[in-house]
Amino acid sequence: MAADYTKEPLLKVENLKQHFRVSRDYTVRAVDGVSFEIYPGETYGLVGESGSGKSTIGRSIIRLYKPTSGKIVFNGADISGRLRGEDEKMLRTKMQMIFQDPMASLNPRKQIGDIIGEGLDIHHAYSSREERHERIDDILRMVGLSPEHYSRYPHQFSGGQRQRVGIARALIMDPALIIADECISALDVSIQAQVVNLMKDIQDKTGTSFLFIAHDLSMVKYISDRIGVLHLGHLLETGTTKEIFDNPVHPYTRSLISAIPEPNPLVEKKRIAFGYDMEAEGVDYHAGTEHLIGGTHRVLGTDEEIAEWTKE
Amino acid sequence: MDKEKILNIENLDITFHTNAGDIHAIRGVNIDLEKGETVAIVGESGSGKSVSMKAVMGLLASNATVNGGKIEFRYTHDDGTEAEIDILQKDRAWIRKHINGKRIAMIFQDPMTSLDPTMTIGRQITEGIIWHYGTSKADAWKKAVELLTEVGITDVEKRMKQYPHQLSGGMRQRVVIAIALACDPELLICDEPTTALDVTIQAKILELIMRVQKERGLSVIYITHDLGVVAKVADYIDVMYAGKIVEKGTADEIFYDPRHPYTWGLLSAMPDLKTDDSRLYTIPGSPPNLLHEVRGDAFAARNIYALKADEIADPPMFQISKNHFASTWLLDPRAPRVEMPAELKARIERMKKEAE
Repeated sequence: MAADYTKEPLLKVENLKQHFRVSRDYTVRAVDGVSFEIYPGETYGLVGESGSGKSTIGRSIIRLYKPTSGKIVFNGADISGRLRGEDEKMLRTKMQMIFQDPMASLNPRKQIGDIIGEGLDIHHAYSSREERHERIDDILRMVGLSPEHYSRYPHQFSGGQRQRVGIARALIMDPALIIADECISALDVSIQAQVVNLMKDIQDKTGTSFLFIAHDLSMVKYISDRIGVLHLGHLLETGTTKEIFDNPVHPYTRSLISAIPEPNPLVEKKRIAFGYDMEAEGVDYHAGTEHLIGGTHRVLGTDEEIAEWTKE
Repeated sequence: MDKEKILNIENLDITFHTNAGDIHAIRGVNIDLEKGETVAIVGESGSGKSVSMKAVMGLLASNATVNGGKIEFRYTHDDGTEAEIDILQKDRAWIRKHINGKRIAMIFQDPMTSLDPTMTIGRQITEGIIWHYGTSKADAWKKAVELLTEVGITDVEKRMKQYPHQLSGGMRQRVVIAIALACDPELLICDEPTTALDVTIQAKILELIMRVQKERGLSVIYITHDLGVVAKVADYIDVMYAGKIVEKGTADEIFYDPRHPYTWGLLSAMPDLKTDDSRLYTIPGSPPNLLHEVRGDAFAARNIYALKADEIADPPMFQISKNHFASTWLLDPRAPRVEMPAELKARIERMKKEAE
């Protein structure tokens, strides 16, 4: 199933701000006014360096934090303020998360089957033991494991298999949106490819949307329909994968793309990556407003900056 | 240019004793490196790349046994005379005193865990200089300031008094490089030096290591699984799989004329910004469990081109050109002719065109 852009967005984030007060006169503005939306069946990639606020956005959306301001609408319900009982239940089942380090996010003392079934247990989502077991077996098969793995423990699995368990645990609640926070960064290149392919297959089958958070642009390019580039809590540029890669406008996006090493020694040895120095270029993110470049391609900047960047 | 070998690992064979049984982690590894050159060891986690380098540094865990082989290292004494030793014949204390840090230095993956959080940057850099050379504190301090300037850190005097948590990830890795360079080593081993860093900083750190290498005439060994990094830095590449080198050659040979099916798989699995395939290639299956002795070619089970011979005997290294070797029965004159996958071939053709 491809992304359906005619429908209402599944997730709509408007001017989200997430500040952390460290002391009386020091507040970290981790996310400072970010807006984007995710459509049903779509994969939205959020990229940025460490400290850009990409993980914070994921955590604010799934309400591990209480957003400082801004509006988050998910599945037709406003989930940014105090959660009503039914909205909370909807949020906790329809939105799921996959974490970075599968060893740290799986309870070492629980069997794989019980880890995966925990969501079902909490929400009383089955009528008999048999049904529970059957559903867990189905999910295990779906992520490329086998029902025999049910009674094993996390340490008996390899890194790639553990990440499949993480995916299975998210999938069993039949979510509308899965937030994958750096879910392949800890894996080997060849295993990364397996997990990314699995996520694509699952999306084809179930129509789940993904918010794919990563710092590796080359993987994000493979999996995402649209991409958002974050830096210091601001969404600098967003658009379809093609728009971002064929025509990057913001100098930060350009430096990110130029920094991806290519597996081509003759080219790579000569190449020197573009630097990006915000102060030297005199870019003030607060002064900028969002400008539409064309299609869904939007860039943050002042009128003069946009004119300068789009000159060529 | 006068080229000579600085490191020569021959037939290294290591077993780890664990509760589950003996793990035959290194099964006859050969690596050599000439002065001033860069070799990259590429492979999946568990292929034995880090263990081989730990053996070079004499840092093997206590449950490891070296079954055979030698690690010859040639270095220059302080008075200018040359010495050649077999590291495996030396005891730990001797290696600690004469090799570690002084002649072979190592840069690790995560700068936050390789720096001591309770010590200032200045003390961590001067520590090794004072220990190895007995330099006075003031002179060591002066040298540390020079080193930090060399690795591109500004505001050096202030940084010397700061602690690791006060620096950003990229700056911490620069400090780690400065520490590695502190005792003027001849060989630098970089174990995944940029995996924990962002792409933009990764490029800067690699450019820094390359510059220092050129200025000081260092030999460098990279351990990595990122082929993009390898393409940027390496003169020679050793591809490692299940405790053995399966293909070795110059960077151009490995990238443009790979011969081993495992290398084909690795190159195909690399995401490529230029193509629009919706699926990434993956190597089927997973690496063999080295708890059980491997019979025949370790890669055979995952190899769609596997021959009958692969199940019976481990293939020897077949020579393709002066520096290019690969260990696969496909290169045997009796084997059927097998070409690399068409997609990979097209990709290599395109890469060659781009390079022109």
